Amino acid sequence: MNDIIIRIGGSAGDGVQSSGLSLAKTLSRSGYYITTYNYYQSLIRGGQSWYQVRASDEVVKNQGSGLDILIALTEDALKRHTSKNINEGGASRLNGIAIFDDSMITNYEKYDDVKYYGIPLRDIALKYNSNPLLKNTVALGAVMASLDMDFSIYEQVIKEIFSHKGKLIDANIGAAKEGYEYYKNNYKIYKSIKVEKRKLFMIGGGEAVGLGAINAGMQMYFAYPMTPASSVLQFFAEHSKKFHVFLKITEDEISAINGAIGANYAGVRAMTGSSGGGFALMTEAVGMSSMTEVPLVIYEAQRPGPSTGLPTKTEQGDLNQILGAGQGDFPKIVLAPGNVTEAFNMTKEAFNLAEKYQLPVFVVSDLYLAEHIETVDFDLKYEMDHGLRAQENDPNFKRYEYTENGISKRSVPGQKGLMHNADSDEHNELGEVVSDVITDPELRRLSMEKRMRKLDTYIKNLPPTKTYKMEDAEYVVIQWGSTKGVIEESIDSLRSEGIKVGAIEIDHIYPMNHDIEKYLKNKKIIVIENNFSGQLNKLIKQEFLVDTKFIGKYDGEAFFPEQLENILKNIIVGKPILEE
Amino acid sequence: MIAMDEYKGKVSPDWCPGCGNYSQLRAISMALSELNIKPEDAVISSGIGCSSNMPEYINVYGFHGLHGRLVPVAEGIKWANKNLTVIGYGGDGDGFFEGTQHFYHAAKRNVDITYIVSDNQVFGLTTGQASPTTPIGRITKDTPDGNIEPPFNPLHYALTAGATFVARGLSGNIKSLANIIKAGIQHKGFSFIDVLSPCVTYNKINSYDFFRKTTYEVKDNNTKDFYEAFKLSSMWGDAPQSIPTGIFYDVQSPIYEDADVVLSKYNLKDTKPYQLTESDLEEFY
Ligand SMILES: Cc1ncc(C[n+]2csc(CCOP(=O)(O)OP(=O)(O)O)c2C)c(N)n1
Ligand code: SF4
Ligand SMILES: [Mg+2]
Repeated sequence: MNDIIIRIGGSAGDGVQSSGLSLAKTLSRSGYYITTYNYYQSLIRGGQSWYQVRASDEVVKNQGSGLDILIALTEDALKRHTSKNINEGGASRLNGIAIFDDSMITNYEKYDDVKYYGIPLRDIALKYNSNPLLKNTVALGAVMASLDMDFSIYEQVIKEIFSHKGKLIDANIGAAKEGYEYYKNNYKIYKSIKVEKRKLFMIGGGEAVGLGAINAGMQMYFAYPMTPASSVLQFFAEHSKKFHVFLKITEDEISAINGAIGANYAGVRAMTGSSGGGFALMTEAVGMSSMTEVPLVIYEAQRPGPSTGLPTKTEQGDLNQILGAGQGDFPKIVLAPGNVTEAFNMTKEAFNLAEKYQLPVFVVSDLYLAEHIETVDFDLKYEMDHGLRAQENDPNFKRYEYTENGISKRSVPGQKGLMHNADSDEHNELGEVVSDVITDPELRRLSMEKRMRKLDTYIKNLPPTKTYKMEDAEYVVIQWGSTKGVIEESIDSLRSEGIKVGAIEIDHIYPMNHDIEKYLKNKKIIVIENNFSGQLNKLIKQEFLVDTKFIGKYDGEAFFPEQLENILKNIIVGKPILEE
Repeated sequence: MIAMDEYKGKVSPDWCPGCGNYSQLRAISMALSELNIKPEDAVISSGIGCSSNMPEYINVYGFHGLHGRLVPVAEGIKWANKNLTVIGYGGDGDGFFEGTQHFYHAAKRNVDITYIVSDNQVFGLTTGQASPTTPIGRITKDTPDGNIEPPFNPLHYALTAGATFVARGLSGNIKSLANIIKAGIQHKGFSFIDVLSPCVTYNKINSYDFFRKTTYEVKDNNTKDFYEAFKLSSMWGDAPQSIPTGIFYDVQSPIYEDADVVLSKYNLKDTKPYQLTESDLEEFY
């Protein structure tokens, strides 16, 4: 892939993220497909953080390996990202050019494969304004020159970003232009990729879930803030008025889920969302949504646990929790989008599934998916499916009628002659309780089977499981969620070396489509997950009684392609697959 | 006026004969009937406990949810459809143990719902353990040596949280209770009604006789005076006429639904959701 990877390294408070965003925006405006990677800690100042943008004239599926250009805002960043012992969770060290202020940063080890392009960032910036972040703009100007890009696009982006801070516009443009010129006059163009002019939108995973929910007709969002689910909450906070969406920050997550259930019961599409810790508080109500057959969409953005865990890092460690949430057996649906565009599409899908089957539907994400940005391909077409609804004054209305497909007609408050009791106790077809006093084993059995039948109906309507290059594959990689892009690219790379490997991409994770079975026969199966114990792996083994090899990563960072290729190659070529 | 019969549920209550909840069922039905609220326009959200079984016995929309969580469900319903009359109904264990934070914040927000607690000072459904309002020293199933925790004062709690309507009712006094409930429903904002309700099976002390002797109806109190309301809420004892009942506090202050940017403009149930178009993606260009 003809791509370029640029990383900005510094500390919290250095404007690493905002500079990364301007860079991403300028590149996508120029017609590059981009994806970003954000490495940070919960700090206001200090520590270390970096932001990476990968750009190409083809669609980019992950943050990439290798590093072409580093903007080092601190000495620590320069050392860190050039070091042969780089320890950033799988991110590559620099093997291109380092742009840094050589009047400030002087004490570092020099490597032969790195070009050190010093620029007096601070001195240039000071000519325009005393704002310390202006030196980032000078550096970005230099990056535009190193890529042989037209300066006018960056200029336009600056105008938009600082539109509300009028007097900073000129300072930023001046500083950027001088950085651009300085690079041109002193250094060689690093790489020039010709890209087509195309209009691309650049959207984060959380925003995609928010936009998907709006597209699906969601009108109410109930949540208590928790990273990394907060990017959705933030999206609604910023767009509440525009999209007339009611946003309620509740006193706790228990309130959030119960409120969302109340709203859905009253006939308005509502969603709740949290990360694993907040979701743990919601679990009792998940079963209630299923028992009362009130539709509900739950957004779960995972971060590494247990307990408070790593608040600003990524992991896929909540699958067990999601599958096991709530006492008893009850129908639910779990969806796991693999990238930003899928996050948009599957959120839309979730709302229709929730109403069609009258049960809780999860959209599962993780910090990496929720907080990185991609150039996307959104299709806004959508038709709401409100499922089966009763007609007013229907004398034969039974809210929980035992039907063949398990789905019964629903009524909502305000509808005449359809009053009923939605009960979290076990109940009969009419919603009358059969638990406490008049315990009735037969009715319990019938009600249980009626609800569970909805899953049989759903499974029959499942789309075929997505696969990647499976035609002649001898090795099958199984994945779910945000590892999709990195796995596809690793497969491309292994295939270019003649290794016949393909992937099964499980995005409808529960209940699982049994068409997967046909891909597993006589194949070596490798399950890759961003967690310690192999939560999907166990499920696969249990469902299909196959031997697998599990690859896990639980250091808080996503997989990087080079790292994954090496692991896969080692397993496939290096030594025979270990039966687990 | 809609006939009382219209509110009669298909299922007959299975409360113990003499349980205080019967009067509350009747008083709620009476209030709805007198206020002409159509069965389809009323929703009762309840928790878990003997009292919380109410929705089955009354012909309105009912949501019988989780222990302690009836308030957030009621809020969600109200915010989805402001035209509905939303009543929260549950026990003292439900509301003052597990649901304490929801109760507090709903009162603070001044959500326009009516929250009625059947306060029998005991866990009924789980057969007689101490509840948050069980008096100190009381021997219950799980306090064989007497309860050592001081009781929770729900009225103080509601007042300090910011409830704009606070009342104490008495089961058995159906007419007065119905009037209090009517006033609570009509009140714009969060109404809290604590109903002293005998549990004839597990609380032999706070019986009908006990309350007949100890309670009296307040007259000519200033319902706009927070401190007077607070004082009335404090009054309790075994002596004759030591426990006031009635409306203690009734003031107007902006409700949550009117303050919220979206709810103040739209009744969401009757509003077409926003139609997302390509131009909405421009901000991501
Ligand atoms: C989460 C949860 N915890 C505990 C229970 C068990 N439980 C059911 S009702 C109840 C207490 C009921 O007391 P109260 O709310 O005062 O209602 P009452 O029966 O007195 O009307 C308890 C502890 C439950 N159902 N759910
Ligand atoms: S146990 Fe007490 S509260 Fe429950 S129904 Fe019987 S009398 Fe009423
Ligand atoms: Mg009680």
